[in-house]
Amino acid sequence: MKFKTIEQENISTVFLNGEIDMDIADSVREVVFPLIDAGKEVHLNLKDVQYMDSSGISVIVESNQRAKEKNTKVELKEVSAPVEKVLAMARKFL
Amino acid sequence: MSETAHQDHTEKKAFLVNSSSLKDVRIFCREVFEKIHIQEDLKDELVLAIAEAAQNIVKHAFKNAASPNELMVVQISCENNKLQIAFYDRGTPVDPKKVKHREIDNVKPGGLGTFFIQEIMDAVEFKDGNKPWINHLVLTKQL
Repeated sequence: MKFKTIEQENISTVFLNGEIDMDIADSVREVVFPLIDAGKEVHLNLKDVQYMDSSGISVIVESNQRAKEKNTKVELKEVSAPVEKVLAMARKFL
Repeated sequence: MSETAHQDHTEKKAFLVNSSSLKDVRIFCREVFEKIHIQEDLKDELVLAIAEAAQNIVKHAFKNAASPNELMVVQISCENNKLQIAFYDRGTPVDPKKVKHREIDNVKPGGLGTFFIQEIMDAVEFKDGNKPWINHLVLTKQL
């Protein structure tokens, strides 16, 4: 699965889309982790994500932890309503 | 609990045990919940809970191993506004005592799926799997 990525100075914006589940999570890692490892600030645009489960949340948590180790950061942008709902539930836990 | 009258209905479907089937599980659930007349918000939560349980079968009962001929069955029943979702699989026997989400102060992503299931459903119960099944998980919720 391919995700559109836009580079602007030191910020890489990755546009995720569709349904982010266990089957797709590794594809997201393959796109996002190398950007973090390269020291980029990564913005995950979630406006076109219709569904996200714990695997998707795991990718966000792992990305955030990885970014801290690399002295950079990951931000979520334009979070869709379905994802916001799952994030709200996850925040009780994380 | 809602005031809406829900349609009594039972339907089940078998899926291959692999991560590619999870999308099909969600499609099946959405179709059945349409027939039961479950409201949109609750439908999304229930689909998430079911998908997480199916994911646990792929990830834990089968350890992510390629199992080309293995099936898991999902059965959704609604009777008198009580929703019951049953899962059957022939993976590694699940020890219910070991199925729990991790401690809240341990910031790691694992265990979140189990947390979602417990948050969304009223009850989560492992029953003895009758042959040919090994694991039989039942999730219930009063609608």
